[in-house]
Amino acid sequence: MIEISDLTKTYGGRPVLDGLDLTLGPGITGLLGPNGAGKTTLLRCLATTLAPDGGAVRAFGLDPGVPMQRTALRRRLGYLPQDPGFYPHFTAFDLVDYVAILKELTDRRQRHAEVRRVLAEVELTGQSRTKVRKLSGGMRQRLALAQALLGEPDLLILDEPTVGLDPEQRMLFRALVSRLGEDRTVVLSTHQTEDVAALCERVIVLRDGRVAFDGTPGELAGVAAGQVWLSDEAPAGARVFWRTADGRYRVLGGPPPGADVTPPGVEDGYLMLIGEVTA
Amino acid sequence: MTDWHVPDDLRERYVDGTLDTAVAMSVDAHLGRCARCRAAVPYEEGWLETSWQRLEAGLSEPRSRPLERLLRHGGVPDHLARLVAATPTLSRAWLTAVVAALTFAVLAARQGPELVPVFLIVAPVLPLTGIALAYGPRVDPAHELLAATPLAGPRLLLVRSVAVLAVATVLAALAAPLLPAPPGLSAAWLLPSLAAASGCLALSNRLPVPIAALAAGGSWLAIVGTGHLASGWHAAFHPLAQVGYAVSAALLILHAHRTSTS
Repeated sequence: MIEISDLTKTYGGRPVLDGLDLTLGPGITGLLGPNGAGKTTLLRCLATTLAPDGGAVRAFGLDPGVPMQRTALRRRLGYLPQDPGFYPHFTAFDLVDYVAILKELTDRRQRHAEVRRVLAEVELTGQSRTKVRKLSGGMRQRLALAQALLGEPDLLILDEPTVGLDPEQRMLFRALVSRLGEDRTVVLSTHQTEDVAALCERVIVLRDGRVAFDGTPGELAGVAAGQVWLSDEAPAGARVFWRTADGRYRVLGGPPPGADVTPPGVEDGYLMLIGEVTA
Repeated sequence: MTDWHVPDDLRERYVDGTLDTAVAMSVDAHLGRCARCRAAVPYEEGWLETSWQRLEAGLSEPRSRPLERLLRHGGVPDHLARLVAATPTLSRAWLTAVVAALTFAVLAARQGPELVPVFLIVAPVLPLTGIALAYGPRVDPAHELLAATPLAGPRLLLVRSVAVLAVATVLAALAAPLLPAPPGLSAAWLLPSLAAASGCLALSNRLPVPIAALAAGGSWLAIVGTGHLASGWHAAFHPLAQVGYAVSAALLILHAHRTSTS
């Protein structure tokens, strides 16, 4: 269980987290929000790589502000940062092995078996001896995910995990994360509402460092109920609309003349919520 | 493609290993290009699976660096040897800078013996630059990736600093005999170097690593300057001062070790 209370973080006088209160339990929780909403800052506070200015975080009863408890918490978490840097001249195996040592997997045989396991999980076994600089963007992203899986952590923090993945790799990622979310806490931040709809039992939308929505993906989609339309004509004056594959226009907001109301998706609810669309 | 396939009796003798070498090689060659005959050769699934796993493990096993092997032979635990050996490669620019600075200092001293102090003053500062470049979000490309691991922070900094200090010390020790100075004086940078690096580590508990390195380097230059004003540049390398560096280094290392393991 993770408890966040009155969490604040300010950059250059601008509050990025503004008195955030949240409780996160087992399962997969998705964080949505526009750029600058505070998603990455929140995840970095959870991952113990950033100290908040105020408020408290407790994960499994441990306070990351206390050095010994921070180390104890780090033993139980896996973290995929938004911009994972690499040592380009390391091989994929070497890099994960290096992180495994820092995760206190000291027995060589067991550590190497664990490295092979996580590389296989992300389907990088064939690239284990390839230098990081020669891996594609998607492969690097999977490599970063592999190191987060080391030691089967109780808390998995994934910041934009599907960036750079092709559709097939995203399916692989979804299968992997949904399996991991069965018995542990997974928190992932994304701009992909499809990932949230497919994976998360709970979605939290952040806006200006505060919780703007907290519920199920279905409830988020429900925010746009009765406000999504299909129209044969391009609507005049509508703020958000696009032409779909069948040639009709999907319109969010007020009803264009002669349009048919259609069931909303998670993306529709999200766009309504963050104020991109006004009814 | 061929219509011929290995007859049953021949296959049985092949499996039993009773065929003579030439015929066995001929069957081998045929099996290499005939899936039907390959499928007919019985094999033990468990054994094949284990063999593949062993082969895969062997192929993916990282090659140990010579330094890593040397450290392991010296009794350093495997995982620490790997961390230490990998450290210099994390900052090749620093290694190049150390070699360049030492070369410059030695060449200058050989041109004019009055420039020997330049080497002695520069040598303790070199590990500090390495330590400053060994850990931190601005200098370590993988910092954010590693920062959430249990060993991140003082423990990783300590390991990397030991690696940096060892490399800088070996390089400076190799350069020292080239100086136009007596051996005792040529080695007079060693304890100040250890004390400065230990001071940097101790300060890093309260300050960002680059600032701690600047502070330790600044303190060293202040000691040299004060000694120079009092009784000449030799003062900072006097035997009594060396005892002071040794005691300071021992206390600071103890402090850094306690902090890193608490």
